[in-house]
Amino acid sequence: MKTSPKIQREVIESCKAGDERAFAEIVLHRQKRVFNIAYRMLGNLEEAKDLAQEVFISVFESIKDLKEEGKFDAWLTQITLNHCRNRWKYLKRRHYFNSDSLDDPIETEDGDIPKAIYDPSENPETLYEKKMIQQLIQGGLQKLKEDQRELIVLRDLQGFSYEEMGEWLGLPEGTIKSKLHRARMDLKQVLERSAH
Amino acid sequence: MDCEKVRDRFSSLWEKELTPVEKKTVKEHLSSCPACRREFEQFEKTMRWLQSVGEVEVPDEFLPELLKKMEERKRIAPDKKATERWFKFPLSLKLPVQAVAMVAIVFLVLYLTKMMPMEEYRPKEPEPTSSPLSLEKKSEHALAQKEGERERVVLKTSPEAPRPKDVERAETAVPIKERLEATAPQVKAEEKKAEVTSSKTEVMREQTFDLKEAARVKVPSSEPEKIEKGLSAQGKLAMASKPHQEIILRISDREKAISQLHKLVKQFGGEIVMTEGDRFLASLPKGSFSEFEKELAELSASTRTDKVFARKPVTGDLMAGRGVEKEEVDEKGKGPVKLANGEESRMIVRILLVQE
Repeated sequence: MKTSPKIQREVIESCKAGDERAFAEIVLHRQKRVFNIAYRMLGNLEEAKDLAQEVFISVFESIKDLKEEGKFDAWLTQITLNHCRNRWKYLKRRHYFNSDSLDDPIETEDGDIPKAIYDPSENPETLYEKKMIQQLIQGGLQKLKEDQRELIVLRDLQGFSYEEMGEWLGLPEGTIKSKLHRARMDLKQVLERSAH
Repeated sequence: MDCEKVRDRFSSLWEKELTPVEKKTVKEHLSSCPACRREFEQFEKTMRWLQSVGEVEVPDEFLPELLKKMEERKRIAPDKKATERWFKFPLSLKLPVQAVAMVAIVFLVLYLTKMMPMEEYRPKEPEPTSSPLSLEKKSEHALAQKEGERERVVLKTSPEAPRPKDVERAETAVPIKERLEATAPQVKAEEKKAEVTSSKTEVMREQTFDLKEAARVKVPSSEPEKIEKGLSAQGKLAMASKPHQEIILRISDREKAISQLHKLVKQFGGEIVMTEGDRFLASLPKGSFSEFEKELAELSASTRTDKVFARKPVTGDLMAGRGVEKEEVDEKGKGPVKLANGEESRMIVRILLVQE
């Protein structure tokens, strides 16, 4: 849960003027966040990279329409979520996720590893087990509804505040909290099923 | 607090958002309810796992690839932009343009649908010719129709009309077809000669019909009732297309000759249907044509009349030619020619006055 340093207003204005160096600076500052949201939402590194690049291309093409430079991060996250929703629908239509059961190998940064159906919390120190937890979480997220996955990714993985989430998603804080709780409970059930 | 309410507060308990009273109540329930305690343990484990999930690193080639993609799109963009530009225009601009285009299409369709039948029809129409002969033919056709209408009102001519002089009657019955054809070029030559050098009054007559036609002329005129019965619109047209006779009359006194001609025509129950300078078109009953010719020949005793029978080449149009052929066939098959109906009882005579 790290907060990225705020991008300076001048950089955003330069990017609006078509300055590619300013754009590259914005990319370097925000690529990790965009890429991680995309990866957690889609569960595939290659898809996540491609989507994140598309997000930044959209940013460069439409940054001139951004009226308030102070809301750049909210604007960027909204663009990222919209791209994720569209890509998710696209991949679902092509049955991309049909074969993805919890028994399938899960793609990680260090390559595919086979899924092991056991509770990794018994030996949490080992790196292997950490990877197992990551796989289980990623697999569990894919089993959730799209809006539930969004809430968990934004709050529990990216660490955004309820206030920010309420603004981006256009929902009151109370609704976000109750929806997020329901999503967590569903994820718990998914993980329980996969661990036994 | 029941189990469900306690489980609904797991997230709030985890995030430390419960009031101290709520926290105490929930904790008391968890200590007394093994099922809820087990549920909360699972929930805590899930939340710990979520927190343990670190961020994945962005591939090193991310930015270079991104910039490369943008360059490629810039190259394709100019082609795409032209088509996409239209979709980006505001509706306030697009709607009028679309409306104008729609109206233009409607007008174009209407224009095409109106024009097409005319274009198809045109080739069917006879080709207009500018030659005076064809014009003459047309006028004759019109006259024949007019004449047919007037047939019902038979004008009686005065038998006391003065006989014109200086006309020698042309031979009515055409003796031999070959003769007609042989003399045709002569007619032409003489026409020219008469116009330029002739100092005598003479009548040249050209017959444009053949043996059959000549025979028909000889047939005595039928009764008026018969004529009236036989007339029909079709008949009028047929009459118009029949070959006619042409008489060239050389005269010295034009005014006198014209008045005598008028009287003579009336006398034989005909009428002058068209006057065009020195040209006259007269409609006559066929039966009286031979007599009319005789009277015309007597118009002037002092003048010499050249009689020429010829198949007039200029009048040998399609209709006339067809008529001749048909009549020849009829003659072979049926023998003597009979008047079939009233339409054959009239004929057109063209009279050309040539002043000395």
